[in-house]
Amino acid sequence: MQNEPAHNKVRVEARGVALAYGKTQVLRDINLMVEPGEFFALLGPSGSGKSTLLRLIAGFNIAQAGSILIDGRDITAVPPWQRDVGMVFQSYALWPHMTVAQNVAFGLEERRLSRDEVKRRTQAALDLVGLGEFAARRPNQLSGGQQQRVALARTIAIEPKVLLLDEPLSNLDARLRVRMRHELTLLQKKLGITTIFVTHDQEEALTTSDRIAVMDQGVIQQVGTPTQLYDSPANRFVAEFVGTINLLAGSIESETAATAMFMSPDLGRFSLPRSGDMPEHGPVQLLFRPHAARVRTAPDGDDALWIPGTLVTREFLGESVRYGVETRAGMLIADRPHLSGEPDYAPGQAVHLGISASQLRVLKT
Amino acid sequence: MGHQFRPASVIAYLLFALGALFVLPLQAQQVSIITSFPKELTDIYKKAFEAKNPGTTVEILNKGTSAGVSYVRETAVGNRPDVFWASAPDAFEVLSKDGLLVKFDPGIPGIPAKIGAYPINDPQGYYRGQALAGYGIMWNTRYMKANKLPEPREWADLIKPVYFSHVASSSPSRSGTTHLTVETILQGEGWSKGWMQILQIAGNSAAITERSFGVPDGVSNGQYGIGLVIDFFGLAAKNSGFPVEFIYPGVTAIVPANIGLINGAKNAELGKKFITYSLSEEGQMLLLDPKISRLPVSPKTYAKAPAGYPNPYSGKIKSKVNFDSDLSEARYYVVSAMFDQTITFRHKELVTATKAIHEATAKLAAKPNAQGQKLLADARELVFTPVVDETKVKDKDFLAVFRATKRDAETSKRVTALEEHWSSEAKKNYAKAMDLARQAAALAR
Amino acid sequence: MNSRYAPVPTAVAIAIAIFLMAFLIVPVLSVVYIAFSNADGSLTLAHFMSFFDLTLMRESFWNSLYVALMTVLMASLIALPLAYFTVRFEFRGAILIQTLGVLPLIMPPFVGAAAMQLLFGRSGSLNLLLSEWFGFGIPFMEGLNGVIFVESLHYFPFILLNLTMALNNIDGAMEEAAQNLGASGLRLFRRVVFPLAMPGYVAGASLVFLKVYDDLGTPLVLNVTNMLAPQAYLRITSIGLEDPIGYVICFIMVAFSLAAMWLSVQVMRGKDYATLQRGGNSLSKRRLTPMHAMLAYGWTVLVLLLVLSPHLGILLLSLAKVWSYSVLPDAYTLAHYVTVFQDSSRMMANTLLYCGLAALIDVVLGAAIAYLILRTTLPGRQALDFMATAALTIPGVVLGIGYLRLFKGVEMGGAVLTSSWVLIMIAYAVRRLPYALRSCMAVLQQMHVSLEEAAENLGAGKLRTIRRIVLPLMIGGILAGFVTSFITATVELSATILLVNAERLAPMSYGIYLYMQSIAGRGPGAALGVIAVVIVALGTYASHRFIASRAVQIEMKG
Repeated sequence: MQNEPAHNKVRVEARGVALAYGKTQVLRDINLMVEPGEFFALLGPSGSGKSTLLRLIAGFNIAQAGSILIDGRDITAVPPWQRDVGMVFQSYALWPHMTVAQNVAFGLEERRLSRDEVKRRTQAALDLVGLGEFAARRPNQLSGGQQQRVALARTIAIEPKVLLLDEPLSNLDARLRVRMRHELTLLQKKLGITTIFVTHDQEEALTTSDRIAVMDQGVIQQVGTPTQLYDSPANRFVAEFVGTINLLAGSIESETAATAMFMSPDLGRFSLPRSGDMPEHGPVQLLFRPHAARVRTAPDGDDALWIPGTLVTREFLGESVRYGVETRAGMLIADRPHLSGEPDYAPGQAVHLGISASQLRVLKT
Repeated sequence: MGHQFRPASVIAYLLFALGALFVLPLQAQQVSIITSFPKELTDIYKKAFEAKNPGTTVEILNKGTSAGVSYVRETAVGNRPDVFWASAPDAFEVLSKDGLLVKFDPGIPGIPAKIGAYPINDPQGYYRGQALAGYGIMWNTRYMKANKLPEPREWADLIKPVYFSHVASSSPSRSGTTHLTVETILQGEGWSKGWMQILQIAGNSAAITERSFGVPDGVSNGQYGIGLVIDFFGLAAKNSGFPVEFIYPGVTAIVPANIGLINGAKNAELGKKFITYSLSEEGQMLLLDPKISRLPVSPKTYAKAPAGYPNPYSGKIKSKVNFDSDLSEARYYVVSAMFDQTITFRHKELVTATKAIHEATAKLAAKPNAQGQKLLADARELVFTPVVDETKVKDKDFLAVFRATKRDAETSKRVTALEEHWSSEAKKNYAKAMDLARQAAALAR
Repeated sequence: MNSRYAPVPTAVAIAIAIFLMAFLIVPVLSVVYIAFSNADGSLTLAHFMSFFDLTLMRESFWNSLYVALMTVLMASLIALPLAYFTVRFEFRGAILIQTLGVLPLIMPPFVGAAAMQLLFGRSGSLNLLLSEWFGFGIPFMEGLNGVIFVESLHYFPFILLNLTMALNNIDGAMEEAAQNLGASGLRLFRRVVFPLAMPGYVAGASLVFLKVYDDLGTPLVLNVTNMLAPQAYLRITSIGLEDPIGYVICFIMVAFSLAAMWLSVQVMRGKDYATLQRGGNSLSKRRLTPMHAMLAYGWTVLVLLLVLSPHLGILLLSLAKVWSYSVLPDAYTLAHYVTVFQDSSRMMANTLLYCGLAALIDVVLGAAIAYLILRTTLPGRQALDFMATAALTIPGVVLGIGYLRLFKGVEMGGAVLTSSWVLIMIAYAVRRLPYALRSCMAVLQQMHVSLEEAAENLGAGKLRTIRRIVLPLMIGGILAGFVTSFITATVELSATILLVNAERLAPMSYGIYLYMQSIAGRGPGAALGVIAVVIVALGTYASHRFIASRAVQIEMKG
């Protein structure tokens, strides 16, 4: 086990990868660069192609076009057992006919290491995941979290160049999931292995990863840091998938070099500061996150867009209170931090929602 | 089965079929016959009898002879089948001694009292000869030609080295007919010489088949070259188009195959009718059917037989042996058990020893050696001498051991001890004989 | 489930227990009793000791063991590659293999052995060709090795079917994980795939062991007598029903079979890896390299030829006028089929009746026992399972003799029970019950109990729930059980020979046996055999189709 950051950090690259099962296109022209030592997440709904991409890197699927490179070397034609990428399976795939120690030792034995070496590294890997005492047990005598750790220990014992995690936390209960998430990030930072993590849970991806690729329908929609994805989603899919959003439909017309005019059939006209990728004119959607909306009984400033409406639902989420407000532009959602000192509202009240122009993102439709 | 599985309709069908089975047999008069004869024989009689007696059905119970005897014995009076019909006269001896038969005389004229010295009908009248059977040798002409084998004429021919592994026979414990063949040889040649011949033939055999039928079948399809069979097996196979021949050797016995009315039968009247029919001119004619090819007991019938059909009344078949069925019956179990313990179950060892003896004989013939001849003679002595000698087999106490019920621990112990003795003795002798024969062969070098 | 006292299940359980006691346990015990008693009924161990004093018996014991173990080995060598090819690779004709793999099971072993004599025997087609071309022959069918040869080809499907099913149930991730860690090829198979399929393999192998250990027909046809089953049969049928050593052999066979079954259960305890999770993938199939494809197809074709050879032999025989010492028959005819249809339609009807009723009893009992075991908490319900399954270890001869002794003179509806067809049918039902029971258990195990709870929650009583929810969902398994019981019953001979007391009552298997004893050639027997194989093959195919179509329906609904 390497306890200092690994010296053999590698880059993983996908170039123009495409894959289809019959007529179903599963991956289309995937180009991706995962930097050495990075904790990289593939995020997307089921059927988005993220697991297929991961299995492609492991060598279990074969692409019809494109190539996979590890450390600059094309491994497209290398069979799974020679790739030296470790994978943790969603079902853990622990072999029930072997003990925990035998499971962990398997990959080391396949590498024809000496018996002492196998023993030492098996124990080290189990100690690393805190299961040193469980070596003689059978997988079915362990809890879900313990099984997950064994699966992890089995993979990192071979010191792979790349660590692939296929929804590793999805079979755990909510509380354990959060704990394992932390352990996983800590371990990854400690080992420094380039890690690719497949998940459909945006919170999991946002909290653990250095960078995320959001996938849908076999296409990478956006790659970026968690903050970039959250604050500047490239499209509506990314916006909706990474957190809760409100959308306002309308069109935009140029006003000056610094400002643009947004026109909505429901809300009228509103002037916005221009930002980089804002179109000259044409139909757009304005997007804002619920926490960006202020809830007031009346507009209390003119720096913002004020939308009148009736509060219809109130949900207490613990850290915040979430209001649903029926407006002319449809149902909009606003969050108020709990115990922030702002007043609370009850369903039935007439309110105004205020959104600062700086919090509004413009999405091309 | 389709896409719609409707259990209800299946059940309805089954219930209907079930009902039909119960109802049908009750409508007709039924005669049931227990027999060891093959299906084509019984089918021909069944059809003919049913055609002649409308409203009557013939029910066949096909059982091996000894299984048939115990079946009759274990069935309650009134529920027993009506007619017992089989080859082996000793089975009828057992049946009549146990009171399982009733006297019945169909009163058909023209059937002689004796064939050779053997009475055709039971002198006491419990059963009657229905056909005649002699024992002989059957061979496959294609097999003989392919393996360049001369045609055998006598039992004694079959012990020659040239026939090694080309012969087949069954076991007397398995088939009544084989038992008769073995007894014929024993009675014709005498106990010691007879066993010697039997052991030598068995040593030349490729197999000891489980059923007597295995022999003619194996010869017919060419698996074996030569078989020891009852005449109709050979004749029927030949008449059905198989490339086989059959001859009666000099030492043979013509013995009747019998038919008798069972005591405690369900339908005795119909049973009598069937027996009468089987002995009538019409019933005797059926025996000439190529598929049956049996020898009728009625001398008249031969007049209508095809040319070349063997006729035991013509004196052409030399029946030197006057078969003594009392003797045969008395030592039945001893002969059967001896055969099985020293031949059937030790066949592999017997064949190996025989082969070694044949090889040594050939080598010594080429290069004579006195010491070798002596060793070879010892080897022969070891292999071809019966484990029970002639005086012992006449000992009433000895024979009685095999008659007592084996359910008792004491008897069972004595019998199994004897069997163990024979079996291990045979095994030991065969192994030793093989050694001696090899030494003899080595001396010839 | 939740009620402490359940009168209906208790009554059903008692009824089943009585049936099994009357037609399985007591008859077998009555046979065992003779092995341990004197003529006056007093108990003794003398017969038992005599058995061990007989060299021949010890030899037979070891021969039977040797043949059974070697057959398991040979059958494994045949079945393993076939199962592996079909599950692991994109392999054309995988369905063909599985269908044809079933074919040997639907032919009575003694018919198969007789047919193989014609092709592989000392003057069989193959040896005639060999001696004509090369001047030597190969003794395929001689002695113990002949028995092993025939039995391996006959029983390897048990291993093939169980192993294929087990391999198909392995979660593909199990294998991928091993590949990911560096294992491939044979090492991967040996270390991960095969151990995971082990329960299926052991189930199949132990079935083969039991079957071969008990088989009577094959050694008899090949004239091999120094084995336990032939010795028991020869003793009881030639020395007569009174020979106690025959019964001792029966007892030893039953005890040994039970011990073998118990051992296989012990070995597999806690190793039932139902590893395929919901939504999991099965093993991925991959393309064969041309070299491997050649080997795979070569092996498959060779095995198929061997497997089909008895069928081919029997077909030729059924069409042959005369077939004697020649590679192929001299001339062909349809006369044998005419004979069979004229004379023996009764036998076909009997087979349908007995086997149909027996299979019906089997699925009723099987479904009831499965339900009692998996869905109730009745005390002692496991005993029912054990009793029913133990039927697997009872040789047909033993059951037949037990019936004859126990029901001698018993009358039912004016007819003597031992001379009616009812006992034949019940013997079939008892002997084939384990198959139907396994099927029903498997399907009920897979059915989640919440489906029934939902019905009860919506107001359906237990019986209505069973009728409207449980039975419809079990129908696939029930049908599979029905078919397995039915087809294996059609080829049953050992108990049949003992229990058939009139030709009118004979089923086809007995008819084949009888016709096979004909001097005028075995043509009609072969023709009847061909008809039996065709009927059973069609039934199997239809039920596969039915089960497959149902499986698709349920999957689409689910």
